[in-house]
Amino acid sequence: MYTGPVGSANLPQQIHDYNVHIDSNDVFWMIPLDDDAVEVDFDDARARLRVRRLKVFDDHDIANSLTLGLGLPGDLGFPYPKIAPVAPVRATVSFDVEWSGIFDVAEIHNTAQSFKGSFLSTGATIKWSAEQPGFQFESEMPDPGRNLISVLGREQNGAFFA
Amino acid sequence: MNKKDYSALRKPEQRRLSRRNLIRLGTGAALGAGLLRPKPTFADDDDERATSALANPIPGGVTPFNPFGVVVHHNPLNPAHRLAVANISDPSQITDFDGFVGLTHIRGGGTGTDTGTGASTILAYQADMGFSKGKFIGADGRHHRGTFAFV
Repeated sequence: MYTGPVGSANLPQQIHDYNVHIDSNDVFWMIPLDDDAVEVDFDDARARLRVRRLKVFDDHDIANSLTLGLGLPGDLGFPYPKIAPVAPVRATVSFDVEWSGIFDVAEIHNTAQSFKGSFLSTGATIKWSAEQPGFQFESEMPDPGRNLISVLGREQNGAFFA
Repeated sequence: MNKKDYSALRKPEQRRLSRRNLIRLGTGAALGAGLLRPKPTFADDDDERATSALANPIPGGVTPFNPFGVVVHHNPLNPAHRLAVANISDPSQITDFDGFVGLTHIRGGGTGTDTGTGASTILAYQADMGFSKGKFIGADGRHHRGTFAFV
């Protein structure tokens, strides 16, 4: 979440970063859900992800999230702004994400990354909210025009790539 | 079972910036982040019916704040591929996976409210979210079936 104009996402203007943290096996920002939280109709290029009051962390910004709260020092020859260290706080988020419509289709067989499958570039919308001590957020109504890129896939990777 | 061991691929990055090394740097913020890291829940997993076993990460990914940040086992979507989806990298965060994946990259707006004062303001957001739903080989080497949100 950013204090800049809608459509922007500049790190120095970020004030909230909600995620579930990297798990103890290094899986990035994934959390198990009940099976019915995700509905997929791949043949019709549709999917929906609905979650209510998921417990997450607010790391303040992506830099603190990915440095585990150390922030960034600035300068030192690296192209990153100085970001002050911030410890995470607890929050809850609710969201309803819908994928639909097809912009592009591809069959991928990527031996370098060991994944294959059918992939769709789709439209998508989201309606979401967040709550934490002293702050709450409610997104605008779902707007297909806000989608920059979204993807649905039916894939196999790793041991299932053959 | 033909489970691949990717731990060797991860070791250089882990040596460079492990959680332990971050905590050695001595900031309370890093310690707080470590303490708040969630633990996965395990389920009975004799069949493929269990839904919350520990998964394995994809071997690749990105290092957005190299050399300061951790390795991210995730391939962010690039809007340049909206009409060229054949060029995407693996959108799954889980390896040894067979199922459906979804990812979004959406930028929009909304209203933030200071619940202490009632003051509200328009804020921008970026939502990089998604899901994985299908079967996978867990860290325990067993086959599982699960549904995950990418948040």
